Amino acid sequence: MAKQTFNLNVNGKNYNVKVEPDEPLLWVLRDDLKLTGSKFGCGVGVCGACSVLIDGVARRSCCIHVGNVSQGQKIITIEGLGTLDNLSPLQKAFVDHTAFCCGFCTPGMIITATALLARTPNPSREEIIQAMDLNLCRCGSYINIIEAIESFVKDQWRGKSE
Amino acid sequence: MSVSRRQFLKAMGGVGLLYAFRFAPAVSPQEKNFDMLPLDIGDAECVATILDLDYREWIAFGPDGKVSVYTGRTELGQGLKTVITAVVTQGLDILQGKLTVVQGDTELCPDDGPTTGSSATKYVGWGFWLVCAKIREDLITRASRSLGISPKDLEYSNGGVGLKGKKGRRKSAFELGSGKAVLMSIDPNTSRTNDRSYVDLGILNVNAKKIVTGKLKYVGDLSVPGVLCAGWLAQPYLPNLTRLRTVDLSAARAVPGVKMVEVVRGRVAVVAERYNEVLKALDAVKAEWSVPERPENLLLEEESRARARLYEVKEQEGNVEAGLASSDLVLSETYTTQYTTQAPMETDTALARLEDGGTRATVWVSSQHPFMARTIISRYTHIPDSNIHVIGMPVGGGFGGKTSNPVTGEAALLARITRMPVKLIYSRKDQFQLRGRYKAACVIDLTTGVSANGRMIARKIDIIHDMGFGTTNTYTIPHVSTKLYHADWPFGRAVSRGTSFVQTCFAVESHVDMVAAVLGIDPLEFRLNNVRFQAFIMLLDACAEMIGYHNALPSPNTGIGMAIVNHGGSQLGAVAAEVEVNRTSGKVIIKKICGAFDIGTVINRNTVTVGIRGAITWGIGYALYEEIKLNGHSTKTADLMAYHIPRFSDIPPVEIAFLDNHQPGSPRGCGEMPVIPTIGAIANAVYRAIGVRFYSTPITPEKVKKALQSA
Ligand code: FES
Ligand code: FES
Repeated sequence: MAKQTFNLNVNGKNYNVKVEPDEPLLWVLRDDLKLTGSKFGCGVGVCGACSVLIDGVARRSCCIHVGNVSQGQKIITIEGLGTLDNLSPLQKAFVDHTAFCCGFCTPGMIITATALLARTPNPSREEIIQAMDLNLCRCGSYINIIEAIESFVKDQWRGKSE
Repeated sequence: MSVSRRQFLKAMGGVGLLYAFRFAPAVSPQEKNFDMLPLDIGDAECVATILDLDYREWIAFGPDGKVSVYTGRTELGQGLKTVITAVVTQGLDILQGKLTVVQGDTELCPDDGPTTGSSATKYVGWGFWLVCAKIREDLITRASRSLGISPKDLEYSNGGVGLKGKKGRRKSAFELGSGKAVLMSIDPNTSRTNDRSYVDLGILNVNAKKIVTGKLKYVGDLSVPGVLCAGWLAQPYLPNLTRLRTVDLSAARAVPGVKMVEVVRGRVAVVAERYNEVLKALDAVKAEWSVPERPENLLLEEESRARARLYEVKEQEGNVEAGLASSDLVLSETYTTQYTTQAPMETDTALARLEDGGTRATVWVSSQHPFMARTIISRYTHIPDSNIHVIGMPVGGGFGGKTSNPVTGEAALLARITRMPVKLIYSRKDQFQLRGRYKAACVIDLTTGVSANGRMIARKIDIIHDMGFGTTNTYTIPHVSTKLYHADWPFGRAVSRGTSFVQTCFAVESHVDMVAAVLGIDPLEFRLNNVRFQAFIMLLDACAEMIGYHNALPSPNTGIGMAIVNHGGSQLGAVAAEVEVNRTSGKVIIKKICGAFDIGTVINRNTVTVGIRGAITWGIGYALYEEIKLNGHSTKTADLMAYHIPRFSDIPPVEIAFLDNHQPGSPRGCGEMPVIPTIGAIANAVYRAIGVRFYSTPITPEKVKKALQSA
């Protein structure tokens, strides 16, 4: 397959990359755009470490060919959610609840949770577990992750009722 | 990126005072007096001399109150950097912004042996706390001499010494040192302190913000100019049993972007510009394998017995045969466990660059032991140790699997062959089977003799095929014999979270419940009657209380089980599990887990709690799901679909308590211990729920259904 130029909108910026159309989005993000927050954990869609938002939906970037990303689709990676000095409220909740050990799965967890909260702003514990269940964490930080998401939700609603 | 210690000291803007220490008993009188070395830190000789003397852990005071720490251990996720930061900022009363911690770099740091979760906390955390105390003491002595004021009137604060309670003349550590070094030996095993402030520093993970923003760089996230990607051809059979017979590499070499396709050390390696090109080329390799004639079923219990040879007598007290003969009741059982693997989320990865015509190497690694990595790299490349610079990056999960991993040497070898920097990334399949090393399956025979009133009298344990053995020193038993047998299998054995206590503890704690059942005694009461240490009584009571053992109404298909562990004599734990068994699907649903632990002083509750919950998660995986299935020569479980690691929906509410034993003393760490009793607790809970004893792990729905059908 010959290389082609693709235009990608990532974290609000437009990039042109020249790769083969069957290049997984994950490796374009990591190797071409140097956005290494999305991790390689399996390459076949089972672990969730590579999750990114595409038009607000959590998708596994290891399984998406660049050629299948449509012009105009908006890709958000973990780097697009917040910065070291300006964490997103959910990122802050993950920090406050130590929702990680080694941290390798964390970007994928935060992306998946962000998508969940966008469609279900006040999820029950069951809904959180269901939405997150295919994101794996070998360190077993699951309870802390759930606590982080729940506390974020609580803070959001408290903020609204004030 | 490669800086020597000297360059680093310079980078601090000069060093006023260097404390070089090691965790060992003190040797020389000068050292006991904290004499300064007649060495100028600015002098090149000084660094070499201190390292030669083996004082390899350093705390340096620079100008403007800056402090730097050097240690050889790498970040494993158990919060080591967090612990050091917490301990040193508090111990030296300095702001976090003034502290730099350098870890896991072979040119900058000491070789401390592999990092394991619990030993890291014990030696690094506790050791640094003791070091800080000595430094404070030493600085006061120095200031007293320099100012001509009695030490009683001086106090240490924020990197310097001044008059107690008053402002005024102060001497900073930088000034007091005048460019000299002090050597110290600290033995964390024997040192004690009454200082209760070393408790629950409550600091958050120092890498936390980098982790949640995707900014923490693991080795796979690094890049150097001209770097190429590499991968190995996955083998359909276990590597130690099989040989590459014929290969056709022509199609693979024609894949665009491919730089090299070769048979390297008996396996096919591909190096290409992009990782995807590596995968495509690997797909295009045509290979045939030879396998040994007779397929072996590697899990057969009889095979293990046939191959077993006595390796070690681990415990021998009293006369076990006589003890059994004098018992009122004797029960003999056999338990077996499965092969498992670490399966970290980050697959083995390394980045290697050769320099100076291939005579030097810089290798970035994900390793629990960067110094071991250096030895491995040297073995693969024949570059001497002294010319290899290993830089340990944060580890995306190690669990014992990233201690002697060959990926470091392999990356360097491929860099040597291609004369280009190479990043070698194991695929998930490689991670499962390339190394062919698994946590050992075991066959464990147990015989216990008890008196009619429920006292343990004698116990005999024979363990086949373990790579070590956890002491079972949990009960008071006059006559004990424990023997370890090895059965040589053609693949390696690996350590993983929970070490070999896991297998033994599952068997022992299941067996204890069965003995209680035969006696007709409640298993909790039976344990309370026989435990060896008072602490176990408190731990068991705490668990019983948390899980509601005494007020639980029996409901159909639910049960509560318990188990205890003595991990190396310094960490004691009890876990209680409540389960419900679905008779139709055979699925074991864990309703709740409670754990009580005696682990000494808790340094950092945040990190410890997430670590314990994680360890309990491992216990759940081992008890119910995880199994490497070896079928003749191949692994059927070589991906995360076939090998089920616990996920969100597998995790019940978990409640944790720490025994506050009011003993001033060292924190003992708790990296993996909670894995161990969780397994036995779950097995015992299943027994209480449906009256079926499972003699092998994992307790899968298929096994449960089969057992219920035949019951
Ligand atoms: S790397 Fe994409 S799901 Fe695992
Ligand atoms: S924190 Fe290590 S894999 Fe999730």
